Amino acid sequence: MKKLTLFLMSLALCMQAYAFMPGDDGDRLLGVWEPSNGRARVKVEKIGSKYYGKIVWLKEPNDPKSGLPKTDINNPDANLQNVPLKGYRMLKDFVYQENNQWSEGTIYDPLNGSTYSCTIKMTDPNTLDIRGYIGVSAFGRTDVWKRLAVKK
Amino acid sequence: MHNRFNPYWKTIILSLGCWAVIHVAQAQNTDSTKQESADEEDFSMYDNVGFADEGARRYCSPKIEGLSPAKLISIGYDFQTGYGLGAGAFKSQDKNTNWSQDSVNVLNSQGLRLGFNIPVISRTNLVWQMGANYWEQRYFMEDPDGSALQTNHPLLQTLSQNGLRTLGVSTTVFKPLDDKRFLLFQGSADLNGDFSPLGMMPLKYLKYSAALVYGLRPNEKKQWGLGLARTYRVGELNYIPVFLFNWTDPANKWGTEILFPARAHVRYTINPRNMLFGGFELEGQSYRLWNTNGTPDKFRDEDLEIRRGEIRLRAMYEFSLKDFIWLSVQAGYRINYRYEVDRLVGGQEIYRAFGLLSDEPYVMENRLGNPLYFNISLNLVSP
Repeated sequence: MKKLTLFLMSLALCMQAYAFMPGDDGDRLLGVWEPSNGRARVKVEKIGSKYYGKIVWLKEPNDPKSGLPKTDINNPDANLQNVPLKGYRMLKDFVYQENNQWSEGTIYDPLNGSTYSCTIKMTDPNTLDIRGYIGVSAFGRTDVWKRLAVKK
Repeated sequence: MHNRFNPYWKTIILSLGCWAVIHVAQAQNTDSTKQESADEEDFSMYDNVGFADEGARRYCSPKIEGLSPAKLISIGYDFQTGYGLGAGAFKSQDKNTNWSQDSVNVLNSQGLRLGFNIPVISRTNLVWQMGANYWEQRYFMEDPDGSALQTNHPLLQTLSQNGLRTLGVSTTVFKPLDDKRFLLFQGSADLNGDFSPLGMMPLKYLKYSAALVYGLRPNEKKQWGLGLARTYRVGELNYIPVFLFNWTDPANKWGTEILFPARAHVRYTINPRNMLFGGFELEGQSYRLWNTNGTPDKFRDEDLEIRRGEIRLRAMYEFSLKDFIWLSVQAGYRINYRYEVDRLVGGQEIYRAFGLLSDEPYVMENRLGNPLYFNISLNLVSP
């Protein structure tokens, strides 16, 4: 009987650990998305319980001066300025919060090397409102991203 | 002999082990935010994709690459060095009172400049911002011989005692028509005058300005447009054409930020957090002479407004102090364009159209010297 009790306790501990992982609703964020400026395409992936978005396509992939693939030259950390922009995780640490919203994440703007607090709201299955802000949401800007699919 | 690994302890250790493994696995996954090598994935697969929603459209952005960041909150101070101010002779409307001309030394004029801009709607197909601003200019004067100010001229009295202030609200709407064309509207309503913060002027003295620009954004580094503005920037009401030209060179080093004739700057980008500018701004407004504090009561009833316009030739350095907190410092030469006093006719402004429609003289013609000026502001910039 005691063994059974301990087994159930251990099972409960395991279930508690899994309870922090989100349900499938949050996975609707997965896929490839295009910001409104059309300069990049971003693939959203899930790592553990959180969502991340990396740049997978650039309208201008190469630096016009050097002809080499663009790197994160505007990053304030000089050690990261040689990191290729393709593959760069510009969305980080998003957690699904129900009601089609993901929060607690950040968005990185490679054009100026700044990282902003960010929330994501899915307004329809193919549209995201991405709001980057400073401190409080009022001091921010919303960009609309569209879902991409393979052309038929 | 007691068994160290009795079944209970085994089960507890197994349970804790299971819990620890799951948490470590989660932690490892969560921390794996490091960049992947570009070699790990075939990115060419993302070339041949299109909108999942086939009805979706692309719209051009209100900004271009390399543009200086927009200011959400700005707290600044403006300081003009000394100059001479000669106030013209003036006769009251009933012809019964005359004031002769008088001159003073302005030791300096200075004041706070506050600005706020909050995005209200920020969507791909519409961007709408609302703003508010408060500017003041206080005048510190002495008589031309260096003695304490003793003047009977009502304009000099009210400038000395009350200064000039502007309190206004503004709105900006950017409406992209497609991925290349856009409309830009800017409008503002300002109370300008010699009022004090505790003695607000009636809202009937609001001055309205607006501009509408039709523009093109052919690529990520250029946008230009033409439009029409109703403006007080030359001191009095005018309707003038405006020209927008924002451009950044391919290396992201040089560029222009021009909304002519309001302002035009050449930009040099040291890096996206350090920018230098050279150019000019045309500043101006019509200021209601309303405050009787220190001036004859009669002066308030004369329906008078200062038509103030000035050109500020300047160099600016804007840089990030920390993250989104930017400091802007500027130095330049303030050139007086107009500082005349006009009397309203039946409560209406005289629309001269640069002398084309009316050559009605101003009721008080004033002279201002052209000093050096400095401006510093702390800004919270937009994402």
